[in-house]
Amino acid sequence: MKEFNVVLAGVGGQGTLLAAEILGTAAVNDGCNVRVGEIHGMAQRGGAVVSTLRMGEEVAAATVLEGQADVLLGFEPLETLRNLKYASQKTLVITSVDPIPPTFLTAKNMKYPSIKKIVEKIRLFTKKVILVEARRMAREAGSSVTQNIVLLGALAASEKLPFKPERLVEALRELVPAKHVEINVRAFGLGYDSVKKSEKRN
Amino acid sequence: MPDLHVLLKDSSGKKVLLLGNEAIARGILEAGIGVVTTYPGTPASEIGDSMSAIAAEAGLYMEYSVNEMVAVEVAAGAANSGVRALTAMKHVGLNVASDMVMTLAYTGVRSGYVIVTADDPECHSSQNEQDNRFYALLSNLPCLEPSNSQEAKDMTISAIEISEKLELPLLLRTTTRVSHTRGPVAYGKIKKSMLQGEFIRDVKRLVMVPANSRPKHEVLLKMFDKAKEISEASPYNRVIREGRGARLGVISSGSAYNYAIEAADLLGLDIGFLKLGMTHPLPEKMIGEFLKKHEKVIIVEELEPYLEMQIKAVAQNYVPTVEIYGKMGKQYFPREGEFSTRTVATGLAKITGRKVPVDFEKIDEEYAEIARSLPPRPPILCAGCPHRASFYVIRKVGGERAIYPTDIGCYALGIAPPLSIGDIMICMGASIGIAEGISRVTGKDNIAIIGDSTFFHAGIPGLINAVYNNHKVVVAVLDNLATAMTGHQPHPGTGVTGMHGSTERILIEKVAEGCGVKYVKVVDPFKIKEAAAVLKEALQQSGPSVVVFRAPCVLLASREKRRMGANVVPFRTAADKCTDCMACVRLLGCPALVVEDRKVRIDEILCAACGLCASVCPYNAIEGSCAE
Repeated sequence: MKEFNVVLAGVGGQGTLLAAEILGTAAVNDGCNVRVGEIHGMAQRGGAVVSTLRMGEEVAAATVLEGQADVLLGFEPLETLRNLKYASQKTLVITSVDPIPPTFLTAKNMKYPSIKKIVEKIRLFTKKVILVEARRMAREAGSSVTQNIVLLGALAASEKLPFKPERLVEALRELVPAKHVEINVRAFGLGYDSVKKSEKRN
Repeated sequence: MPDLHVLLKDSSGKKVLLLGNEAIARGILEAGIGVVTTYPGTPASEIGDSMSAIAAEAGLYMEYSVNEMVAVEVAAGAANSGVRALTAMKHVGLNVASDMVMTLAYTGVRSGYVIVTADDPECHSSQNEQDNRFYALLSNLPCLEPSNSQEAKDMTISAIEISEKLELPLLLRTTTRVSHTRGPVAYGKIKKSMLQGEFIRDVKRLVMVPANSRPKHEVLLKMFDKAKEISEASPYNRVIREGRGARLGVISSGSAYNYAIEAADLLGLDIGFLKLGMTHPLPEKMIGEFLKKHEKVIIVEELEPYLEMQIKAVAQNYVPTVEIYGKMGKQYFPREGEFSTRTVATGLAKITGRKVPVDFEKIDEEYAEIARSLPPRPPILCAGCPHRASFYVIRKVGGERAIYPTDIGCYALGIAPPLSIGDIMICMGASIGIAEGISRVTGKDNIAIIGDSTFFHAGIPGLINAVYNNHKVVVAVLDNLATAMTGHQPHPGTGVTGMHGSTERILIEKVAEGCGVKYVKVVDPFKIKEAAAVLKEALQQSGPSVVVFRAPCVLLASREKRRMGANVVPFRTAADKCTDCMACVRLLGCPALVVEDRKVRIDEILCAACGLCASVCPYNAIEGSCAE
């Protein structure tokens, strides 16, 4: 079965739901069959959250199987690690580098692991890793809440998506309230350009 | 949140990406339903919330009822007056409404009426994972079970049609993965709702005294036979695939079907598939024919062996020799939790002797290495949540001695340390009655914790019982002015309706006084000294007392502040005064308090400027002014 799977992992309140919906809408507008899996309710704020997106003619279930993600889009480094079970050699991991320390660490007086350590662990699963300075670029775009859109931009630039990046921008314009569209398009562009630039450097 | 007006668009032929629950909302519009009632509950909430957003424009009536029982009562009144109706609730809501539903099956309805029950395998956001298909069996009401958003919309319309044909309410049963999965939906035409009803007096039909109930039970069973015919002919019950060789067949329904079909493909199995969308009553003849064509039939369903039990009975009449595999006897599939394609593939592999082509165990092992060192991140009370302040006060006063029965809502998160409030929690409103029983037999201080919406939903009878039977309990109502956990829906204490109109605001303290409680006080949880003094006094009463801890949900308050253009200035630690004693961290567990290099830092993004940490700091080392 031909399928394209994305796992979006983050902390409640980071906008994983909206990012997944933009991806799903872009897919539907492109004429694809798609399922977007979400969990709402109790874990909404401050807890670990995961959304999944699956595209493909035969796709019926929304959940992604272990090792079967084409892209793991991490909104927070520890949450990227928490969802490595979806990754394998074929997976591209795109992750934000900005930590949100869980209160567990604070309570136990433990340290948040370094990004270097985190990348080492990701590389045990896949060598394809893109780091995104999502917080910095979101602020540059005009609002720190647009980190989710910066990450979507980075995903679009990776050329993994089975549809054109413009589809994502169209879907974004469809779903984001009119007064916030400009900031979000800017955030998308910054995320997109940052990956394109680093590709050129390499 | 995205604009729900997409639900009001006409059928342009373009497919729209909708959540299962939003698809049901679209189905409501296409079915010409006039009255929608609900009590919010995950995973059903977005059905009511979608309707609340568009009801006025769509020209129909919706309400957030005080609980699921009343929601069914209101809708049944409408449906018995000729207006199509729908009620949405989470699975445990149907327990609350069941008294009404069981006998509404006898009176029936004059216009189409659908009850949506959203089950929650895996307890993503629930206290249990009961399988509500058994309510269909128990009540003799027909039940439809969608697998995806398109079916969720289509079945809402079909359910109304079948309901009218049989003059019976219909159950539409989803699960979390159907309600909370987005998929493409092709629209049909919107049908204008008929809102004006007429009540036709018919005592024999509608007044369920024994003399009328007995014949109505017979009518129900006759209708049930008709429902069987509908099920046999239903387009939702059909053979999806004919397996070559025809030795092996699968029967499945709902979200389990999605996993089953993918698992069969994963294993490369060439097998017959019977998909059931109308799962009560079952199409016995169709199932019997399917059984006859196969030597082995595998039943794939989440939770209880609801289909399996009945299909085994069908096999007795058709082909007793057929081998049926499922979860009765030898367990090929689990009876608890949520399925995945992997769960089903593992079961299918065991039955067929195939090998699962992906080495999941190896992935598990590699991942276990990573998982071991990962700090957990469970859901927690938000920074600035007034419940944290209330719990701080309650623990300060009640300490380890008191017992804290708690209830359903965000405040159930109070069980996490360091607040550690919550000793027993069962279902909506139960905290009060349970506290009464514990208090009666232990003589210990009992402080029942209950939220505002939960108090209105099912807390009031327990409170009246406390007064009537003179139970010495303190009822702490944590009033954050919204049904917060499910998405800030309004309730009787907010003065706002589901149609966004303003209405009489019912004050919890007035209700308590009206119930005969002698000691009733309202406190601001952030004024910790005053609140603690009141709570102490409440504990000294010889009978029941009520303390309302009132402060708005921080998410609502912040939204309001942003709307007003106010700036939330985060609190800071003063380096010269902070001794790194960690009192704030130890006492409050607020996510905005971050420890870096043994120093406390207040996260500027998370801090909501509630000032609670400043009030507990023994050295006055936290500075700032509370956001007003």
